[in-house]
Amino acid sequence: MRKIILLLIFSVSISCFSQNKQILYNLTSVPQSLLTNPGSDVKYDWFIGIPLLSGISANVGSSGFSAFDLFANDGVDFNAKVRNVVFSTSRNDKVSINEQLEIFSGGVKLGDWQEGAYLSFGMYQELDVFSYMPKDHAIMVLDGNIDYLGKVYDIGDLSAKGELLSVFHIGYNKNITEKLILGARGKIYSSIFNFSSTKNSGYFYTIPGTNSYYEQVVSSDALVNTSGFLNYTENYSDNAKSDIMKKAFFGGNLGLGFDLGLTYYPQENIQFTASILDVGFINHSKEVKSYSYKGYFKNEGLTPDFNSGNSNGNVFQDFLDAIPLDTLNTKYTTWRPVKFNSSIQYSFGDGRNSDCNCLGNEMKFKNSVGAQLYVMSTPRTPLMALTAYYKRKFFDAVEMKATYTIDSFSYKNIGLGLSTTIGKVNFYVLADNLLEYKDISKANSLSFQLGFNIIFPDKNTPE
Amino acid sequence: MSKFFGILILSAFFLSCSSDLDFNQAKDVKSEPVVVLNLATFDVPANEFVVNGAEQNVAGDILNFDVFRDTYFNDSLRRTDFYFEIDNTINRAYRINLYLLDANNSPLYTIPFDVPAYSGVRNLVTKTEIFEKAKLDQLKKTKKIAFGIAMLPGPALSENSLGSLKLRSSATVYFVVE
Repeated sequence: MRKIILLLIFSVSISCFSQNKQILYNLTSVPQSLLTNPGSDVKYDWFIGIPLLSGISANVGSSGFSAFDLFANDGVDFNAKVRNVVFSTSRNDKVSINEQLEIFSGGVKLGDWQEGAYLSFGMYQELDVFSYMPKDHAIMVLDGNIDYLGKVYDIGDLSAKGELLSVFHIGYNKNITEKLILGARGKIYSSIFNFSSTKNSGYFYTIPGTNSYYEQVVSSDALVNTSGFLNYTENYSDNAKSDIMKKAFFGGNLGLGFDLGLTYYPQENIQFTASILDVGFINHSKEVKSYSYKGYFKNEGLTPDFNSGNSNGNVFQDFLDAIPLDTLNTKYTTWRPVKFNSSIQYSFGDGRNSDCNCLGNEMKFKNSVGAQLYVMSTPRTPLMALTAYYKRKFFDAVEMKATYTIDSFSYKNIGLGLSTTIGKVNFYVLADNLLEYKDISKANSLSFQLGFNIIFPDKNTPE
Repeated sequence: MSKFFGILILSAFFLSCSSDLDFNQAKDVKSEPVVVLNLATFDVPANEFVVNGAEQNVAGDILNFDVFRDTYFNDSLRRTDFYFEIDNTINRAYRINLYLLDANNSPLYTIPFDVPAYSGVRNLVTKTEIFEKAKLDQLKKTKKIAFGIAMLPGPALSENSLGSLKLRSSATVYFVVE
């Protein structure tokens, strides 16, 4: 029971992420693959996602430590474990959470089969949290500065953001030539909650001084932006549930974005794909509250002036005045994390002998091997992942994809995905980091996706 | 057949194992940071003890010190050490008093220093005051700190006299954050 709860905690509710959907990408028997590449080579007549069940995905990642490192029930003092985690991670270690739930989705082929245009649309809810390890802040809280004379604490170590939003999208893809499919998807974002503190800088240091006992300087340029929280933290009156629903349906802070993608066949058995997702921004103007902490202060302690005799000096107030904590209500803009995917695939094995039902994809070949690259923008250096995969179609209605992924969370991430279409019902389940399932508490990242769709195969493909 | 694969995948979830975890441990979180900072600094040259040719035998100043107005700070504070280092290079002895004052300027605690006259050899006067328990409670009531300097009799100073009376002081603040 515990592991199920854990799995749920890890993968659904908290899910830390890298957002890489390496198994879903280019798995074209699953309609949701259109969300990872609007130029996917899909071949259904139409599809409709079963509302709330068509796309459930969660992704948890923590590059520096695992749940086991912190919460193992091993009798070791919790604070000792916290120290271990803090001192064994670097400021570039990250924790990331991504969860998506498709509310509705559908797609329909436009025109006759020669035109080969496809329209897809839907709405999904997404939760994104991304934080770097605020290492120097953690050291200050754990140890203070007594054992760190000379160390320059980096205020920029704090870099975190999070968002709960809903996304409405409509995409169009078209066979430009026999060999080339192009696709684009427009998106409207409605942000329910946002916090963002990713452009902090500054330092704090203490070194032995000459005139004063220490030379001690704080210089800070820190800003935390929030939107969507005010109705709950202040002047709370409304019903939270209805308020969140309102914000989910265009009532939140709005933004715009797009995805672009392509599939290209230089040869019949060689496929190249690429997509760029979530090039977009959200303009936060409602329920905005920001906290800024900017300034410079050199602390010399009390500095009496014996000439005046009553100088009324106030070093603490001087400090508060030099680096004031200001509350602002100014608009701000956040950029969505941009994702880039690309793949190259070689197919082999004649699939036509196997009485193919061709659920979507062309079944000229049974097997494919390929490689994928995934890049996502973050507040610092982009996250990258490299995947090798093997894809195979079984029997009439099954497509399987096995992946091996290397990224900053893991270098032995094996994933497996399965899409079955029985009658018109498509069911898919994809999970990665399977090796970690032998003890998921020690996993640095986990992700899974599953869903149900109703698919009407393309009448124009051979049956 | 697809059921087979479905079962295979689902079993990956349900056959998965997890070490025994205890999330309640998070309640035990506690940190004990120790912060060092400058408490006070001054450097009074010998000639400032002479105004218009006349020696000024007493000097002083009162400064605000209301760090204890923050209750969270107060509650986490366990101990505070004040360290003082006085370096006198003036050929006169001094008596320095540091007074912790409450809101009504009434002294809560006095820290005295006897500083000998400079005789050509460096003679650092150091002192550490540790505030814990009841003494810490006294410190927490502090709203102001006053410095008093009394110059003791000795060879006359002029506006050209050399040397200075220098104080460097640090505080070491022990917190327990739970």
